[in-house]
Amino acid sequence: MKIPLVEPGTIGPCPVAPDALQGITRQQTNPARWNGAGWQDFVAALRAADVELVESVVACGVYATDAGGTAYGMPHGVVIARDAGQVSRLLKTAQACRVPVTVRGGGLTTEGESVAFGGVLLDMSGMSRVLTIDANALTVRTEAGIYWHSLAEELRRENLDYLSAPLNLTSSVGGTLGVGGIDVNSARLGCSADQAVSLQVVTPTGEIVECSDTENSELFQRVILGYGQFGVITEATLRIRPYTPLAMHYYYYSSLRAAIEDLQMLDRNDASDYSGILTIMDCAVNLLVAFDSDEREAAFRKHWESRLRGHGEFGFALCMLGHYAVRPWKLGEALYLLQRKQAVFPEFRRPEYLRAGKMHDRSVVFSRAVWKHWGSRQMVIPDLATSADKFIAAVERGNAICRKYFRHYTLYCVGIKLRPEHKPHYEMSCIPPDADGWAYGCEFEPMIEGEVYSRDHFQAFKNAIYDIGVDLGASYYRFGGMMKGYIRRVFGDAVVDRHLALKRRADPAMILNRDVIF
Amino acid sequence: MRAVDVVIVGASLAAAAAAKRLVDAGLETVVLERKELPRHKICSGILSPRGHRFLLENFGPLPRETLHEPTSCRGVTFHFPSMVSMPMDFFHGTTPHLHRKYSDHWAIQRSGAEVHDQTSFAGLEDQGGHVLVHARKHGEPVAYRARQVIGADGPSSLVVRAVYPDYTKQIPWFFVGQKFHEIIDCPLSPEYFHFWFHPGLGHYTWSHARDGRQIVGVGFKRGDNFAKKHAVVQRYLEEKHGVQLKPADDDHEGCAENFGPSLINRYVFGKGNVLVTGQAAGFLNMIGEGMSCALHSGAISGEAIVEAQRRNRPVQEMYRRMIASEVRRCSDQWNPLKIAFERPHEADFPEALMKLSWRERGLVLRDMWRFIVLFKEFKWGRQIASAAMQRPLLGGYSMQRWL
Repeated sequence: MKIPLVEPGTIGPCPVAPDALQGITRQQTNPARWNGAGWQDFVAALRAADVELVESVVACGVYATDAGGTAYGMPHGVVIARDAGQVSRLLKTAQACRVPVTVRGGGLTTEGESVAFGGVLLDMSGMSRVLTIDANALTVRTEAGIYWHSLAEELRRENLDYLSAPLNLTSSVGGTLGVGGIDVNSARLGCSADQAVSLQVVTPTGEIVECSDTENSELFQRVILGYGQFGVITEATLRIRPYTPLAMHYYYYSSLRAAIEDLQMLDRNDASDYSGILTIMDCAVNLLVAFDSDEREAAFRKHWESRLRGHGEFGFALCMLGHYAVRPWKLGEALYLLQRKQAVFPEFRRPEYLRAGKMHDRSVVFSRAVWKHWGSRQMVIPDLATSADKFIAAVERGNAICRKYFRHYTLYCVGIKLRPEHKPHYEMSCIPPDADGWAYGCEFEPMIEGEVYSRDHFQAFKNAIYDIGVDLGASYYRFGGMMKGYIRRVFGDAVVDRHLALKRRADPAMILNRDVIF
Repeated sequence: MRAVDVVIVGASLAAAAAAKRLVDAGLETVVLERKELPRHKICSGILSPRGHRFLLENFGPLPRETLHEPTSCRGVTFHFPSMVSMPMDFFHGTTPHLHRKYSDHWAIQRSGAEVHDQTSFAGLEDQGGHVLVHARKHGEPVAYRARQVIGADGPSSLVVRAVYPDYTKQIPWFFVGQKFHEIIDCPLSPEYFHFWFHPGLGHYTWSHARDGRQIVGVGFKRGDNFAKKHAVVQRYLEEKHGVQLKPADDDHEGCAENFGPSLINRYVFGKGNVLVTGQAAGFLNMIGEGMSCALHSGAISGEAIVEAQRRNRPVQEMYRRMIASEVRRCSDQWNPLKIAFERPHEADFPEALMKLSWRERGLVLRDMWRFIVLFKEFKWGRQIASAAMQRPLLGGYSMQRWL
């Protein structure tokens, strides 16, 4: 039987019926393993170009899965990135031999986007040096494979800090710029990718190009939030700021809606420097507010704190006591909340990170807590990003899905300040097209708690969340985690086809991260 | 002797799904199939939308050659002795009418696994650290040494017999057969799969259109006469539904089926390094569609092996914990509490029922009860009730009942 070749990104007619699987794109989303055609020629060419390639099963096995932990794939070989010239030679050879190249930073994707199903895996963690710090201009030039916490460590020595980064220890700068990235200050400073001033990019055909808003701006727009389709980010110049410790405040709610309304009120009025919501299911909702300066904190206390409907820790404990006293059948839930409080709360108040009541090294505090109390061998975090007015509906519907699929879960909500001058970056990205001023994102994270679930169970859960996004016209602020099959459903054929045409021009053999978007 | 990571017995859809997960993860996988590929397979070919989505996402869009005519099916129509008919459309639109000979071949090719066809499984020896698989190719013995074996060889599984020699004697067996007729006049809609809740016709009676002919299918407890049962159904269709068919063509076919395990949560998942999946394990949706659960359970068997190897855990433990979600989904379809209060199927039975008049609803429920009574001899009632009660109390079905 002859199986017709399907060009990546091409959507053919459906021989079943036009109304079969309504709304679902006729597209293979779990990629087929590359068949290895011409691999030996490629290996010889690569070695002739002085690029070191590791082919041992043990070395390749290290990259078998990503943080999602559900998709497994094995590359034919691994290249550890050393410099832009080496990456360029790799991509030129791969382009000539039509060998797929999958790029991996911290490997924190959740749908297998940084897993190589055959071909070469390019591990960017080999390029992890900070090149220059300009304390006057408040910029840093760094290699893109560096983890954010390593960058923070270097900047702290100069009493400086990055603007925003994902709250985990092993996401890389290049990977984050490619997908967006959010922090608890994103409602004020935008997504993490917004802090990029300029980039050194190796294009899929191997050219080394410097790009920014003023230089090669079209490439810059496509690479930022571009999911690795238009080049490998090898170096980045980022905006930075003076380092400040944080004054933290926590408010507790039993209503998701009230907490979100208060979060949005704070964001609209620029009332805090950091804001976000972190929940224990939908029972205990924590609105986190923090400040870089005493002045901002004082202004918040004077003008905005009284308008928040949340309780302090003691007041909320009394509310919960009353709530569960009349609902004895929910004793298990109450005990879980208590156990969770006792385990998690001290993590945010560890004495080694508190000085004069202020939190130091928030990236370490948050990342440590996230991995210790939320992370597991599998990271299943479907998310939704919507305009401000659709956000409550999205969270409430997603919350119902979480309750249906898992006993325990967490929701994490933040605002993302949109920067009008970056609008071209946002196309076909995590920023929903109808968002104005702010986009809002919510992660829906089940607590795996040592359970073993099938990939199918996780996928059904994620599909149910993503379907809400399709229904609401939302996007997904994925730090690499929206299933490929939803791209066309969310953004529409016209936009995706335009990007596909750009991709084909930039990457004629369609080798670079070919299974991620198209 | 060939040493590989995994041997899969059978080249079915379950095998293709398992092979896809294993090959993706870089495990050397060999599929053994006793016939020459592409091989014929007895099946209605009506895949559920969930199964269609799995095929699409894992193997790509279906080529035209993998489909019969009509290429799609809109839903299921239930017919009752009281002459009430209930058409129910599948959720999310129509679904493929698979030509199993080519769809299975396409899927197994797309999986990327190495296929050894015309190679019959002859037995296995689980040595603890590995499994020796004995087979015959063109009459000559061949042997494989594998870390794990997956039995995906259908209801009459030779792998199950090798692992549990007495299993086949412990469950009731049914025979399902279908005959193909040229059509003179057929008022039954070709867009639907038709099923009869009629105790007088048999345990499983269906009809649908395929490639210009009409299939008349019957299922019954093994031991009855296929020709006689079929003749009864053909006469009934003519008298009651005005279906006029020419005598059956010569290419009739039939096979043994294991209807019970998913109904009473008595699945068989293997032992040691041998996993059993698909219909061999007992997965069968209500209305007898086994392909979608074969695909999903097959994939889970592959995932379990990958997970077990990566985490250095016993493969049976991983498989059984991971397969629980598919057991829930499949056994929910047979669970009377789920049917009454939720929508476990891929078509909306409660909604179709509510479209009927009160009198017709009463007739339907009466006829369904009479049909269920047909299965009384198997003494499943207590087991079904027990499984139905376990579901809300435990959040799933007891693993203790699985072999």
